[in-house]
Amino acid sequence: MTTSNKVHTALATALGIMAAALALFPFYWMLRTAVAPAEGLTTTGLSLIPGEFDLSNFIRAWDKANLGQAMLNGIAVTLGILVLQLLTCIPAAYALSKFRFRGAGFILGLVLACLLIPNQATMIPTFVGLNLLGLGDTRLGLVLPFVTSAIGIFMLRQQMMAVPDAIMEAAKTDGLGPLRTLVSVVVPIAAPSIAAFSMLSIFTHWNDYLWPLLVARSPDIMTPPLSLATFQNADTGFDYPALSAAAAIVTAPVIILFLLAQRHFVRGMAGTEVAG
Amino acid sequence: MSLLTRSAAKVAAATPAPGGGPAKQAPTSGYSRQPLTPYLLLLPALAALLLFVYGPALLSLIGSFFVIPLSGGSWKYAGFNNYLKVFADPLIHQAAWNTLVYSLATIIPSIVLGLLLALLMEKMGRGSWLAKTALILPMTANMVAMAVVFKWIFAFQGGFANQLLGIAGLAPVNWLDEADTSLFTVILLGLWRATSLCMLLFMAGLTTIPSSIHEATAVEGIRGFTKLRTVILPMLRPTVVFVTVLSITGAVQVFEIVNVMTKGGPVGSSETAMTAAHKVGFEYFRIGEASAISFILIALLLAVGVIGRQRRTKETS
Repeated sequence: MTTSNKVHTALATALGIMAAALALFPFYWMLRTAVAPAEGLTTTGLSLIPGEFDLSNFIRAWDKANLGQAMLNGIAVTLGILVLQLLTCIPAAYALSKFRFRGAGFILGLVLACLLIPNQATMIPTFVGLNLLGLGDTRLGLVLPFVTSAIGIFMLRQQMMAVPDAIMEAAKTDGLGPLRTLVSVVVPIAAPSIAAFSMLSIFTHWNDYLWPLLVARSPDIMTPPLSLATFQNADTGFDYPALSAAAAIVTAPVIILFLLAQRHFVRGMAGTEVAG
Repeated sequence: MSLLTRSAAKVAAATPAPGGGPAKQAPTSGYSRQPLTPYLLLLPALAALLLFVYGPALLSLIGSFFVIPLSGGSWKYAGFNNYLKVFADPLIHQAAWNTLVYSLATIIPSIVLGLLLALLMEKMGRGSWLAKTALILPMTANMVAMAVVFKWIFAFQGGFANQLLGIAGLAPVNWLDEADTSLFTVILLGLWRATSLCMLLFMAGLTTIPSSIHEATAVEGIRGFTKLRTVILPMLRPTVVFVTVLSITGAVQVFEIVNVMTKGGPVGSSETAMTAAHKVGFEYFRIGEASAISFILIALLLAVGVIGRQRRTKETS
């Protein structure tokens, strides 16, 4: 390596570390505030490095923001949506990749066009419709609009297209029906994109705020982001350590999942750009 | 029968007979006995898409011509009244302007920064995966939680931003409660998040450039900015268009960070299209008008998406 190359790499590394520090700072400040003693905070401010630790903020946050119930609701809603999406997207992607049938092109077009329809903007009319069905303020209502995902169908279809026809033929000659072929041949091959899509789905629906805000009126069906926002809106507005602790609790599951499965996610995202 | 002939017979059986009736529609994988199978496989997903994507889009159009009681009860036809009211509403004017400012101030810097960071990650030495992880984290963050954290960072009393100003000998700023700074503060959080998403997508795009291209440019002595302009950017064009479309739709639909940080205030200074739609619908209970705003947004963003798609098809062909 030449000296100028070394200088370049060192410079790039220094810039990269600075950028990473900026990206991480809000997370750091969240955790740093979450362990700070609550008294005198707004008058003195906080030092960058914590001096005293006070972990009682987490207990206060858990109780006041009703996080126990909210986390359970969040897990139920997120996993419910994920299971339903996999159950609807995998067969649909399979049909659109491995079968030839009348109207296939039109149906694919219908799916792709959904990718262009903005999701936040349809939430209010979706809620109007849901209310007509009498499903406002129900757990079912939190899940129902997301039973399938156009991006999911598309991501999985792209990967299933790559399953060689020879393998499909072999499965057929072994006497496997279309469903058995899907379960024991296609799904294992499509596993990377199924994993990437699952993560995308979990991130999206664990973090979703607008839809639960519209649907969940009763505290006992609120999801974590909604409980956090409600906690913040309540009179506790200045209890920053408890608020930060609650924010950390709400953020943690998704961050941990991301750190565990980061490589699958980044690789899986590489295929999605064809979709938009 | 030998193994070989047996498999040959199987292949023959699987091959559709030429000119035969059912063979015409035979699926590639050869389940010609069950022509309904693909439709059954598609049914749940298609039903859901029609109900929850096309349905609401249509409902926003229909609803925009009615006065709708949220508690149920009959809808009253209102003609274009909802649209007239929306276009005359100063709250909506402010929201439209703020959404434009928010979009311009987040989209362009986040695309430029995202691209630069993605390129930077390729240049970094060992440990670049750590920086990558750190830079992707904002994309997975819960935006309600981050809005709470930013609210504290920019708090008037004890907030970190004002502590820094204090060190620099400047007077504290009431970031979120002043009309001059509220939108700016929201933009900072939006930018923090959007840059992360852009970088991730550019990183994914850069991996699709084959290493032979990098070798060829190295041999030719094409480096630095020239390489970026003449080789990398043209090859990244589809990614750039995709990132742009995604950034526009994301920015125009911004909701949670505004709702949590400022509620659109003070006096509408940080109101955006979605927070205004939400306010009109669920604080003032004018669902018909909220539907009209939703429909305008859907139509606008649909147009952006269609234009983007055409651009990409043109460039890839």
